[in-house]
Amino acid sequence: MGPLSRETWAQRLGAFRASPSAFMAGPEGEDLGGDLLNDLRSEKLSEQTKVSLLALSLEYPAQLWPDAPAAEAAATSLLDTLVLLPPRPSALRRPLLLAATTVLVAGGALGPTSGASLRLLPLLLGLAMGRDLGRGFGPSSEQRPLQATAYECLRELESCKPGLLGGCLGLLRGLLGQEGPVGPVQPLSLLLAQALRNALVIQARAGASLQDLLTVKASLTAGGPWNWTLTAEGGTHLQPQAPSWPAAEKEECGLSALKPSPEEARELRAAVAQLLDTSYLLTPVAQAQLLWLLGWALRGLRGQPPVLFKPQLVRLLGTAQLTLLHAVLALKAAFGEALFTAQDEALLLRRLTVAAQHPALPLPTHLFYLHCLLNFPENCPLGPAGEEATPLLLEPQLCRGLLPSLLHDPMALLARLHLLCLLCAEDGEEEGRGQGQSPQRYLEELLASLQQRAALSGGPRALATLCFQASYLVARCLAGQPTVLTPLTHGLAQLYRARPALAPHFVDFLDRVGPELGEPLRVVLQQEVVSRPGGDEALRWHLQMLARVADKDAQSATLSFLQAAAAHCTDWGLQQALLRACRALLLAGVRGGLADLLQALARQLEDPDGRDHARLYYILLGHLSGPKLAVALGPSLATPALASSLVAENQGFAAALMVQEAPAPIRLSVGPYRAEGPTPVLQLQVEVLEPVYSLELRFRVEGQLCAPLEAVHIPCLCPGRPAQPLLLPLQPRRPAPTQLDIRALYTKPTGLTCYAHLPPLPVRFADLFLPFPQPPEGAGLGFFEELWDSCLPKGTESRLWCPLGPWGLEALVSCHLEPFVVVAQPPTSYHVAIRLPPHSRLLLRLEAAQEDGVPVVLRTDDWTVLPLVGDYLRGLAAAV
Amino acid sequence: MAQRAVWLISHEPGTPLCGTVRFSRRYPTVEKRAKVFNGASYVPIPEDGPFLKSLLFELRLLDEDKDFEESRDSCSHISKTSVYGLKVGGEELWPVVAFLKNGIVYACVPLVEQTLSPRPPLISISAISQGFEFLFGIQDFLHSSSKNDTELNTKLSQLPDLLLQACPFGTLLDANLQNSLDSINFASVSHPQKQPAWKAGTYKGKPQVSISITEKVNSMQYDKQDIADTWQVIGAVTCKCDLEGIMPNVTISLSLPTNGSPLQDILVHPCVTSLDSAILTSSSIDAMDDSAFSGPYKFPFSPPLESFNLCYYTSQVPVPPILGFYQMNEEGIQLKITANLKLHESVKNNFEFCEAHIPFYNRGPITHVEYKVSFGQLEVFREKSLLIWIIGQKFPKSMEISLSGTVTFGAKNHDKQPFDHICTGNTAYLKTGN
Repeated sequence: MGPLSRETWAQRLGAFRASPSAFMAGPEGEDLGGDLLNDLRSEKLSEQTKVSLLALSLEYPAQLWPDAPAAEAAATSLLDTLVLLPPRPSALRRPLLLAATTVLVAGGALGPTSGASLRLLPLLLGLAMGRDLGRGFGPSSEQRPLQATAYECLRELESCKPGLLGGCLGLLRGLLGQEGPVGPVQPLSLLLAQALRNALVIQARAGASLQDLLTVKASLTAGGPWNWTLTAEGGTHLQPQAPSWPAAEKEECGLSALKPSPEEARELRAAVAQLLDTSYLLTPVAQAQLLWLLGWALRGLRGQPPVLFKPQLVRLLGTAQLTLLHAVLALKAAFGEALFTAQDEALLLRRLTVAAQHPALPLPTHLFYLHCLLNFPENCPLGPAGEEATPLLLEPQLCRGLLPSLLHDPMALLARLHLLCLLCAEDGEEEGRGQGQSPQRYLEELLASLQQRAALSGGPRALATLCFQASYLVARCLAGQPTVLTPLTHGLAQLYRARPALAPHFVDFLDRVGPELGEPLRVVLQQEVVSRPGGDEALRWHLQMLARVADKDAQSATLSFLQAAAAHCTDWGLQQALLRACRALLLAGVRGGLADLLQALARQLEDPDGRDHARLYYILLGHLSGPKLAVALGPSLATPALASSLVAENQGFAAALMVQEAPAPIRLSVGPYRAEGPTPVLQLQVEVLEPVYSLELRFRVEGQLCAPLEAVHIPCLCPGRPAQPLLLPLQPRRPAPTQLDIRALYTKPTGLTCYAHLPPLPVRFADLFLPFPQPPEGAGLGFFEELWDSCLPKGTESRLWCPLGPWGLEALVSCHLEPFVVVAQPPTSYHVAIRLPPHSRLLLRLEAAQEDGVPVVLRTDDWTVLPLVGDYLRGLAAAV
Repeated sequence: MAQRAVWLISHEPGTPLCGTVRFSRRYPTVEKRAKVFNGASYVPIPEDGPFLKSLLFELRLLDEDKDFEESRDSCSHISKTSVYGLKVGGEELWPVVAFLKNGIVYACVPLVEQTLSPRPPLISISAISQGFEFLFGIQDFLHSSSKNDTELNTKLSQLPDLLLQACPFGTLLDANLQNSLDSINFASVSHPQKQPAWKAGTYKGKPQVSISITEKVNSMQYDKQDIADTWQVIGAVTCKCDLEGIMPNVTISLSLPTNGSPLQDILVHPCVTSLDSAILTSSSIDAMDDSAFSGPYKFPFSPPLESFNLCYYTSQVPVPPILGFYQMNEEGIQLKITANLKLHESVKNNFEFCEAHIPFYNRGPITHVEYKVSFGQLEVFREKSLLIWIIGQKFPKSMEISLSGTVTFGAKNHDKQPFDHICTGNTAYLKTGN
C-alpha cells in the first residue's frame, strides 16, 4: 500500500483517538503501527502531518506495538528515520528522539540486549555532551534544543530504569561545573539529581562505592560499551519508592543502611551544593523537583546535615508558588528539627495560613494549603500519625480567617468546617479558656444556616447534600460532645419538617453516622413523621423515612399513622413503601396492633401484590417468634436451617421485580414452506424444555431487508405438548436472504421474568418465493410466454446448468418448485414462474433434461437476483 | 514526580454528554512506572469517553441531579480539595486533580510513587502540586489574551507542540507555557553565561521598567450600630522590565502614602531573591497596632522577560472609597428599592467609568420599573432581572447620588432567571465597579 494522504491520516488519527481500543479491534487496527512507521519516511507527507503521527506514537505506543519485539523493531525504525533525515532544519528530530525513548520504555524493550537501546543511549549522551555528531544531525541552530531534549530523554530512561546513568555521574557533574559556553542548565541539573538519587538508593542496597561514581570522569566514549551494572544491581524492575513522608515507617527508607565514608560524604555534599547553587536558574516547577529529589536523596543519610538547604528556604517562603511551598513542606517532613527550628515551624505555619486564604490565589490552591495545614509535618506531633489534626503551633488566633461561612464554595466550606471542628474538639477539652465568640457557638450558627438553606424548596440538590456532608463531618469529629449534637439533632428534625423530600438524604445520613447522633435523631424523626396526618402530599417520603426509623417506641402513634396512610396508598409504589414500613415494625418486634393493621391491609389494598405481601407478613407475624422472624426477614442467607421459601421471599422479592438474563429453554426452527397469501410467510416451530409463560418473541431483521416485524405473544408453552406453528408474515424490501435476530422475554414457573437471546434464524432465498395466480386451464403457456417476453429488455436472461441428483428432474420439481409450475410436460420440460416480492419476477425454463442435469434458461427483471438464483439452483440437487 | 495524563474538557450544559474532550495527552512512560509503583492498586487511565462521563458526574456537572444518587450525594462522600476519585469500569481512579474555570474543566492524574491502598495523604504526593501548577499554566495560556472561541481554538491547537516543549514526558519543566512558546521561536545560540530556564532570550534596546498597581476593595457595610463594617484592599504589583543582560538585578521599593495602612499577607513572585522577615510575617491575622511594619517594602529580584506579578498584598483601608446604602421592601408583587452612594472625599473624583449593578435573584423577569435617579441613568435588563445604574466618569459635586423606584416581576421560570441560594427574600446586594 502506498503512503496515505494527509486527509486520510487525519481521519484515521481522529478515529483512533476517539476510542483506541475500538479502533485497534477493527479492521484497520493491525496495520496502523506499520503504516505509521513507513509513512514517516514518505516524501509526500508534510512535516506537520509527520509530527502528528509521532504524537500518536508518543501517546499510544503500548497499543501500537504491544510487545517487546514489536517495540524494539519500532524504535529501530524510528532511529533509522532519524539518521536518514536530510541535514537541513527539521521539526522531526526532537519528536523522533522522544518517540524512540517512549517506545523503548513503554514496550519494555530497554535493556542491554536490545539493539535499539544500544544505539539510542550513546546517541543521546553524545547529543547531551554537545559532541559533534556529523552533518546528519542537523544545523547548529538545532543543537541546543536537541541537547535539552537528549537530557530529558536520558532522565526519563533513568527514571524508568534506575541506575542506568549511574556510570555517568562524574561526567554530568563535570558538565555542570564547566566554565565558558555551556549547555542548558535545567535539564542537566535535573538529570544529575535524578541519577544521584537513584545511585544512592541502589548503593544502599548493593553497596557500590559512591565516591568512584561521583568522581570518575567519563569512561564512556562514543563507541564504548554502556555500563549496565548498576541497573542490574538495582534489580531490573522499578521498586516502589520509599516515601519521603515521615508518617511512613522510617525503617523502610532505603537509605538508612548507608554509611558514607568521610570522603564520600564530602563529595556528596559538594555535588548537592553545586546543584543547589545553580537552582535559581531553574523554572519554579523544576526547582521544586530538584528540592524533592535532593530531599529524597539525603534523607536518612548519616552525617549529612541538611543545612545545605537553609539558604534556599528564606527565598522560597515568600512565594505562593504551589510547587515551591509544597517542596519546602517535603523538606520539613524529611528533616524536621534538623532543618526547621520551632520558630521556623511557626513561620511556615503562618505563611501557610496566609496562603490558604489569600484573595489573590485561586480556590484549588486554597484547598490544597488547607489540606497541608491539617496534615502539617510537625517537629513534635502529639496525635496519632496519619490522622488529620491541627498543628500545635497553629493558634486559634491564626485560624480566625479560616472559619467557614455560607458564602464559601462547598468544598472550601467543608475544608474550613473540618478545621473548625478540630478547633471545637480542642476547645471542648479545655473549656472556659476562650474569650470572644466560642468556636462552638460559631459552628452551631453555621449549621443552622446550612439547614435553612437546604430547606429552600426548589433549591438544587447540591445544597442539601452540602448540609448533610457538613452534619456528617461534625458528627464524626465531635461525636463525644452532646452540646454540639443536641442542637444539630433538632436542626435536622426541623429541616425534615420543612422539606420531607430530603428523606433519601436522611436515610443515608442515619446509615452512616454513629449511635451518638444516629439514635436521638432517629427518635425525633420518627416523632416528626408520625405526628403528620396520613394524607400528607409527602406521604411517599414519610413512608420511606418510617421504613428506616420505625422502632418499638411510639408504636401506637406509628400504627395509627400507617392506618391513616393506608387509605391514601392508591398506587403500587406507595403500597410497597407502606409495606416496607410494616416490615420494619415487624423486625423491630412490634406485635399486637401490627397484626390488625396487616390483616386490614390484606383485605383493603387494591393491588393483589400488596395484598399478598400483607397476608404473608401477617402469617409470619402470627406463626414465628421474634428471633425466627428476624432470621426469616433478615438479609442473610447464611442460616440454612430456615432457608425455606421464607428466606427466598426476601431475596426473591427484588429478583422478581427484575428481568434476569438466562440461557433460553426455547428452541425455534423454520418449518416447511407455505406458498399462500399475498406475502411470504415464515412458519416457525417452537419447542420448550420447561414450561414458559407469557412468552414474547421480538424479531429484528438483519440488514433491514424486510420491514420490521411485530412481536409475537404466546400465553403458555409446555414441553412435550405440540404447539401451533407461528406464522410470521414477511414484507421484503429486496428479494434477498437474511437472518432474524431473536430475543425472548418470558416468565418462568418460579415467577421470575427472564430475558434470552436466541440463536438467529435464517430466511432463505426460497422462503421469499410466491406463485403467480393460476391462469385458467390451458392458458398456461400463453401466460408464461407473455411474462417471458415482458422481462426483456429491462431485465436479463441467463443460462445455467442445474445438476440433478439420483432422483431426476421430476422429483426435483415436485419437491421444490411444484407451486410455481405454470406449464408442465413431465418428465422432461417445465416452465416455472416465481413472484419475488416486493416487485420482481423470476422465470425458469427447464427443458431437455439429461442424465445428470438439466439446462435452465432463466429470465428475470431484476438482475441483482442472478447470483442468488445460481446458488439456489445448484443447491437443489443436494437438498432433494 | 510526573503526570500520567492531562485533559481539557469544555463544559456544555444542555447537550447529551454535557461536555466534549477538547484536548488530551497521555504519558505512557509514566504509566509504566505507575503500574510498578501502585502494584495491585494500579488502575489504568481510561479512554476519553468514559473519563469524561465519570468526571462530569463527580463534579456535578451533568444536568441530571434531580434524584438522590448515593455515589454522589451520600453525606460521607466529602471532597475538601480539588482532587477526586473517579469510578471507571468498577475501579476507582485516584488521584484526579480537576477544576472548572471559564467553562473548561482542567484535569490531570498525578503519578503516586507508592501503593494506593491505604491512600497516602495528598501532601506526601509530590506530583499533586505539579499537577495543579500544570493545569494553572495551561489555563493562563488559554485565557491570558484570548477573548473569543476562535482564539481559544487557535491556542488549543498549539497545545500539542507546546507540551512537547514544556512537558515532553509528563514531568513539567515550565508552567509558563508562553515562555516555552517563546523559546521555540528564539534563535538558539550558545550563551557565554548560564541562561536561566525561565528566560527564553535576552532583551536588546532602551532600558525601561514599568510598574502598575491594581487595587480592589471588598467591603461589607451593615448600617448597624452593633456590627462593624469591614473592608479589605487586595492589591497586585505588576512589572515589565526591559533590561539588557542575562540576569540584571532590580530592586523595587514600595512605600506607603502618609497615614497609609501597612501592607499585609505579601506573596511574591519566585524571581524575588530575598525578603525582609518583617515582610514575611506581616499578616492580616494579627491585630493591628502601631508597631506593625510599615515599609519601605523592598523587593530585590532578577526579572523574567515577560510582564509578571511581582507581589500580591492585602491592606486595611481606613474608610471605604464608596459608602453605600441599599434598602429593599417587598410590597405584594412589587419591590421598592432605595439606594444611596457616597464617594469619600479622599478619592479622586475621576473614573474611566463607574456603575452600580443591582441584580435580583430567585424571581421572574422584570416586567415593569418606575424609578427616579438623582444622577446618571438606569439600564434595565428584563430577562436577566438586572438593573445597571450608569454613573459615568464623575460623581456630582455633592458626592452623593440616590436611586429610588419600584420593580415588578413576572412569573418565575426556573431555567432562565438567575438563582442564588444566599439572596433569598429580602437578602440582596448592590455591586459598584469602576
